[in-house]
Amino acid sequence: MAESPAQTAFAEEALSHLDTLYRGALRLTRDPDSAQDLVQEAYLRALRYQHSYQQGTNMKAWLFAIMRNLFWDRFKGSRKEDVSLDDVGEFVLYDKLRDEGAKPEADVLDKLAASEVVAAVEQLPPLHREVVLLVDVEGFSYKDAAQTLGVPIGTVMSRLHRARQQLQKSLYDYAVESGIVRANGTKEVPQQ
Amino acid sequence: MNCSDCSEKLDSYLDRELSNTEMLELQLHLEGCPPCADNYEFQASMKRLVKVCCEQDKAPAAFREKLRQILS
Repeated sequence: MAESPAQTAFAEEALSHLDTLYRGALRLTRDPDSAQDLVQEAYLRALRYQHSYQQGTNMKAWLFAIMRNLFWDRFKGSRKEDVSLDDVGEFVLYDKLRDEGAKPEADVLDKLAASEVVAAVEQLPPLHREVVLLVDVEGFSYKDAAQTLGVPIGTVMSRLHRARQQLQKSLYDYAVESGIVRANGTKEVPQQ
Repeated sequence: MNCSDCSEKLDSYLDRELSNTEMLELQLHLEGCPPCADNYEFQASMKRLVKVCCEQDKAPAAFREKLRQILS
């Protein structure tokens, strides 16, 4: 059966957001096969409910919302399973590095391996991870992120703040373990 | 604006989520406060680092084609 021009346009626009959905699914499931299953299911659901998509609105946010809702329904079970973040207090990596004499502080970031940064993101509890994915990785506004996640903007802001602090704590721990910085010391250890 | 106000609003400034007036107020504070400016640059670098590292993954070409078939 030939598809209508409208359906072709819908499919094309939906596929233009595939990388965003795939990255999000990969970070949420932490498994390429599960990510593909999740994204495929999301696209099938989007196709089924395309009549509910309002032309001119944010299709990327709409698709991401479908995908993350499926994740919570099918991959994570109850939303209550989400574990809370460890209470890292007000951890500010910049202050920590400055206090330990690792200057210039931004140089430390250049020495972090990309895989460790991704691992630190994946270690975040899913409710916090998805906010980082939307705002920091995909560039969503707080408003779009709030609509996508079905939470108030204030919740997006507080989850984002805590997630960033947890990320910085994880990366600091990695930097200490790998010798990029020396905890409680005054010197930065040269990278091998 | 003092350093405490600046710290409180830094996330929103970083994400361009403040009003124009607040953005300007914070910008003026950063221009006159090197420690806050350094902190802001560091936080901006962190945000860029997370984006760059997590953006490296793309959907496999075969998967994209499979979806294209499904959607058509």
